[in-house]
Amino acid sequence: MKRRDFMTGVAAAGLALRFGPRPLAAQAASMGPLPALAAVEGESPAAITREAIAVLGGMGKFVAKGDKVVIKPNIGWDRTPEMAACTNPEVVKTLVELVLEAGAKKAVVIDNTTNQAKRCYVRSGIQEAVKQAGGDMLFVDDYRVKKAALKGEWIKEWEILLDVVESDKIINVPIAKHHSLCRLTLGGKNWLGAVGGARNQFHQDLDKAVVDLAAFFKPRLTVLDAYRILVRNGPQGGRVSDTELRKTVVAGTDPVAVDAFGCSLFDLAPRDLPYLALARERGLGEFDLEKVRVEKRKI
Amino acid sequence: MASQTAFFGLFLYLLLGAHYTGEDYIGSTVQRFFHFDPLLALITIVSARLVYAYFAFALITVAATVLFGRVFCGWVCPLGAVHQFSSFAFKRTKVLKPPREDKASLAPKYYILVIVLVGAVLGLDLAGYLDPLSFLTRSLAVSVLPALAQALAGLSGALYGIGAVGLARSVSQALQNWTINTTFVQGFSVGLLFLGAIGLNARKERFWCRYLCPTGALLGLLSRWNLLKLRIDGEKCIKCGLCTQHCETQAHPYPNETWKSGECVYCMNCASICPTAAIGFPLGARFEKLANVSNVDLSRRKLIVTTLAGLAAAPFFRLTPSRKRASLKLIRPPGSLAEDKFLAKCVKCGQCMRACPTGGLQPVLAEAGPEGIYTPKLVPKIGYCEYYCSLCTQVCPTGAIKKLTVEEKNKVKMGSAWVNKSRCIPYVLGRPCIVCEEHCPVSPKAIKLVEVETKLPDGTVAVQKGPVVDLDLCIGCGICENKCPVMDDPAIFVTSVGETRSPTNRLLLDISAGAADDPYK
Repeated sequence: MKRRDFMTGVAAAGLALRFGPRPLAAQAASMGPLPALAAVEGESPAAITREAIAVLGGMGKFVAKGDKVVIKPNIGWDRTPEMAACTNPEVVKTLVELVLEAGAKKAVVIDNTTNQAKRCYVRSGIQEAVKQAGGDMLFVDDYRVKKAALKGEWIKEWEILLDVVESDKIINVPIAKHHSLCRLTLGGKNWLGAVGGARNQFHQDLDKAVVDLAAFFKPRLTVLDAYRILVRNGPQGGRVSDTELRKTVVAGTDPVAVDAFGCSLFDLAPRDLPYLALARERGLGEFDLEKVRVEKRKI
Repeated sequence: MASQTAFFGLFLYLLLGAHYTGEDYIGSTVQRFFHFDPLLALITIVSARLVYAYFAFALITVAATVLFGRVFCGWVCPLGAVHQFSSFAFKRTKVLKPPREDKASLAPKYYILVIVLVGAVLGLDLAGYLDPLSFLTRSLAVSVLPALAQALAGLSGALYGIGAVGLARSVSQALQNWTINTTFVQGFSVGLLFLGAIGLNARKERFWCRYLCPTGALLGLLSRWNLLKLRIDGEKCIKCGLCTQHCETQAHPYPNETWKSGECVYCMNCASICPTAAIGFPLGARFEKLANVSNVDLSRRKLIVTTLAGLAAAPFFRLTPSRKRASLKLIRPPGSLAEDKFLAKCVKCGQCMRACPTGGLQPVLAEAGPEGIYTPKLVPKIGYCEYYCSLCTQVCPTGAIKKLTVEEKNKVKMGSAWVNKSRCIPYVLGRPCIVCEEHCPVSPKAIKLVEVETKLPDGTVAVQKGPVVDLDLCIGCGICENKCPVMDDPAIFVTSVGETRSPTNRLLLDISAGAADDPYK
């Protein structure tokens, strides 16, 4: 609680200093084409999230009035925020606020957790954060998991969460973590939390599975939480010493570019993650960051 | 009766509260009821040879019984309320027609009590099977609530079907919030026993309380000195016999001399049914002969015979290999005492199974011998032990599972994980997997990955990362077994060896270190 209060305080202070994000968005728009990728570093997770969205042109560019928006963080583990196993609750909270400020009718937050669902929702701090921001936190409901045609190259059909696909816009909010099979889990692997069924079978060809899922879900926006990243013992860590503070949020409309940028946080090249190359071949985005308009900021 | 409804409501509320509420420590829940139960107190103290301070509450019940008779049975006991309500329903529907006078012997419960007591002296804890609080808690936790939750889930599905999405969603979300487990290996047998116990009320009113309940028997014996004795006003009495016919527990109010204070539960049926209001319970000290407490001839001879029968039967409970060598799949909850002490204390109430957020704690049928039926074990294939949870240790009413903080619990080893290399995907199929490794909750991970060469059917060699367990780090939580993609017989599995609680079921010997941090000492 104290920690959260502290972060909220920092967020509020950061915002006050910057007079809010709107002037910035206008400034960015006036400078020509908007960047496809924004990487913002700063002390407050909430402030850097707001800033990153502002750099991309503001939430109003992605969310229309009356939309039902699904925000899909990683809430997979029964871990508190300082373990960096789940998405930072302040990042999720800020996105819910932005989505609702942009006129969305509903902001739904959902994840098919790995540990017991309620424990993950509560102990990640995300349930409370979403509630405060006025969003809807949903548990995965067995009756809302249906087999659907994924039309992937490997996975033709699979059980998916209807609450994710029956929405107007999807925002993917992964956290950057180490993973011993994919090497890293970023935006692509986060989709494993949007499906049901025996998803542990994906691991037999995880890269292909990730690309098939990413091609199916098509997020409007990907916001990678790298405030605190997990550098070993992934994907759930267990000690604060398994994490590193990077105080960064990476947001973008190109999911492949966001993940490619995520690699740099771990001193890896995009080519080190085979699924990124597969994703580019499938036309899901660009991993060569030279070819992407990237805007980096520090606040 | 208002008091019964209130206590039953409280009991149910506390039982529903015994789960992950969003707090790591849930404080006192339904186990507090158990501490007021003199039978459980007596048996646990005798069989475990240890006095538990919690059971001081039981003295309150004892004092109340000595002063006012079996008011606990008639006014407090939640199982008594269930029996009274179902008896009432059977009577209303004319399924049960009480005879003018019932002469059936009320002795069985006293003999059950004697056997339970003899068992306790020999270190057997048999109280839990027929103690009303244990019986009801177990039945609700393992059978009734899960069945209701399943029914509600079905209802939610039906509501989705007819398009009532909002309502359907509310139901399904609420079910997740209450974390009611719906899979129990013994759910069916426990449920049948519960329905059977209710069904017996169709034969006799409050059948359980009259003939079976050892707690009632104990309280009956204590009630002979009580101050509230039934009195029939001879001038008003018209000798209709309705009071005796409708007495819930066969306490035989008419004629006055035949009334048994040890059977009366103060339900007040006799007083309310009496057409001339001739029956009252005036305050007054009047001792009764033991023979008058019940209509039972609790003769010395019969008591001795029962005691001997109990003594003779007890050794049969011990003819089980589980006392010699630990059972492979008997993975006890974290914080469980060493097996003999555990069996002496566990009252089989099933609260740990109710509290377990993953549903991994299941009632045992055979692995722990006959005295271990319905004790808890972790079945990782159904649910694993959640790393940051210590709820089962918090709800145990008798301390068979020692209360642990999450930090203490994380140091307890429940067992050890083993890789079955003839079923594991990288080892056999030469394909990647690592699912067990990614789920291992300890840091650094107890499951390490090594490069494994596998000869494929076409003769080529595949190289993949395969799991190897570091038994020094493994705590036996079983999440690896639970999440293993090999569904039928997981390629990584937990057995009890190495469990902290056992001095003999050991594997890794560190003699130089000495007995370092045994959390139970």
